[in-house]
Amino acid sequence: MTHLDALFKPKSVAVIGASQGTTATGSPKLGTAAMKNLIDHGFVGAIHPVNPRESELFGRRAWPSVTAIEGPVDLAILLLPAAGCIDAMHECAAKGVKAAIVMSSGFAEVGASALERELVAIARAAGIRVAGPNTAGFIDFHHRFAATISMVGEMQPFRSGGVAFITQSGALGGSMLGRGMEQGVGFSHWISTGNQADLSAADFLEYLVDDVHVRVFALFLESVSDPTRFIAACEGAARAGKPVIVYKSGASKVGAAASASHTGALAGSHAVFGALCRQHGLIQVDDVAELLPLAKTFAWLGERLDLRAQRAARVGIVSASGGICGVAADECERAGLEVPELSAERQAQIRGYVPEFASVRNPIDVTGQIRSSETGYQDTVRAVLDDAAIDAVLLLVTMVAEPRATFYGCEIGKLAAAARKSLVVTWAGPLSLASQGYPMLTNAHVPVFDSARAAVQALGAIERFGTYQRRLRLRKAL
Amino acid sequence: MTRALGEFEAKQLLAAYGVPVVSEARARDESEAFAAAERIGYPVVLKGCGPEFKHKTELGLVHLNLRDAVSVRGAARALLDAMQGAGTLLVQRMVVGPREFLVGMSRDPQFGPVVTFGLGGIFAEALADVALRVCPIGLDDALEMQEEIRARALLGAVRGLPTVNTQAIARVILGVARLAMDRPDIDAIDINPLVVAGSEPVAVDALVLLAPT
Repeated sequence: MTHLDALFKPKSVAVIGASQGTTATGSPKLGTAAMKNLIDHGFVGAIHPVNPRESELFGRRAWPSVTAIEGPVDLAILLLPAAGCIDAMHECAAKGVKAAIVMSSGFAEVGASALERELVAIARAAGIRVAGPNTAGFIDFHHRFAATISMVGEMQPFRSGGVAFITQSGALGGSMLGRGMEQGVGFSHWISTGNQADLSAADFLEYLVDDVHVRVFALFLESVSDPTRFIAACEGAARAGKPVIVYKSGASKVGAAASASHTGALAGSHAVFGALCRQHGLIQVDDVAELLPLAKTFAWLGERLDLRAQRAARVGIVSASGGICGVAADECERAGLEVPELSAERQAQIRGYVPEFASVRNPIDVTGQIRSSETGYQDTVRAVLDDAAIDAVLLLVTMVAEPRATFYGCEIGKLAAAARKSLVVTWAGPLSLASQGYPMLTNAHVPVFDSARAAVQALGAIERFGTYQRRLRLRKAL
Repeated sequence: MTRALGEFEAKQLLAAYGVPVVSEARARDESEAFAAAERIGYPVVLKGCGPEFKHKTELGLVHLNLRDAVSVRGAARALLDAMQGAGTLLVQRMVVGPREFLVGMSRDPQFGPVVTFGLGGIFAEALADVALRVCPIGLDDALEMQEEIRARALLGAVRGLPTVNTQAIARVILGVARLAMDRPDIDAIDINPLVVAGSEPVAVDALVLLAPT
């Protein structure tokens, strides 16, 4: 067991500062939330509450200290006030603990850098790897390991899947995780990095890159603590064919040393980070709300397709609304994607499936009359998917009600399952009239968006990832 | 205190890294200026250079488009008088092209040397149309940067102008990146304008800032 294994897959956990009770305002105490989350989400290893004032917590024997615990401890979770963490870390060292998650705050984030350095120095001397301090914790969804004080633990059951979400903000990251699960995103891991005094986002990326449950990384960053290692970890993910999607907060600042030159003034740190993302194939989003829907898109498409071979430079568009066809084509142009006119042969083939007054050049407007045909829509979409001059397909559903919504949900699900190309959907119509059909898409893991723009941006990201993968293959071949 | 190489030395250094620079020579007096102009070929630009004169245009130390010996001699006299012995003259071939780009380098405190390509000229900062890369970079990066700027259409055949030699611009970008890696004592580089004469880029003005000692 490596030290990071002890963090992710411990057999025994000590919760230092465990409790059972609520605060004056009725919320669970942090030591209570941590215990509850471990237990409620089904951690299979040993849980040892540590609290000198209690003899029993959650039906388990409470220990006065880590050193008193009978049997080995792989991982310690520290929930004490900052000053108390020093003694606790000494005891963890004496006990032979392999890793620690320090959830306590009151360290470098409030200026107490010396205390943080001392804590890490004690851990390092004992060979203990430290996550945090000031972290909201870890969740390994596939191993039912929820070492977190985040209230997101109250959501039951968790939705597991292929998105590894690493966040520098515990509170925002927790809320995004919760909303993400509500929107159908399944996660492999959730990691709140905290102050990154020892382990940083780069370590977690590096560790998880070969995890079979991870299909895509979603990162919420406020800073990059070790650029060289971070980039190396991202390159590792790219080589493994796993996209890294990143949102980074922080307005641009001018490098003080370079401000005497024009170039320096033009190269603010935010712009530099953007350049770094482009150079190393990271997919940067500029709206935090785009992060998880995009991660979900890659995770779901990655279940059926080799993401490394996916492209989206040439988009086929199909809808029964001429209006949204135009919108989608505009969005493709804005995103730098083509909407090529189909060959005469292909157009003739599609003519046979659609009403007389439909438009078949691409975008393909099958018109509202398509509903009088049982197979016209599916045949059209299949013909576009089969076309060698089309890389990816965007289907847009507008004003439909049940039972037509169910037709779309069911048929698009089948088309997506059989497709060897990326297929994404925009559902612009009212969801209340599609209560059966719309959820069928999410259940079938078909990426579906509210707007044409969001869907096209996802296609743009697929194309960027594919372009970078081709570049990697080219470099390897050289 | 920020130190900078002289304009002439800056371009010599860049030329050593494969950057095509405007043909130019230094002159101490009127007759050297005349001889240089005859050698370089008219029209020429005459500049007054010296460590005290950072903003040459604002100080009236740039005389453009001198087309003959008489105007070169006149400009040389005027500049020497204005500088009162505190500077030397720089005689340059007058290069005009409607298309002006910039290539630069600055050091990000976290990520290290960053190269920049973008729209150049006097409004470069106001327009802020640039693409960046963190060093080290390869040829594919240097070519991609040119496709990233909003004004990328200017690199094509526009308004009767020939297509810009983007491979040559890529070599300028790569040269600046190499220089940045070789010389950690250089804080920043501005090549602005990088004028496109016909289809070929040429560095007309350059600034090389050195790290404070």
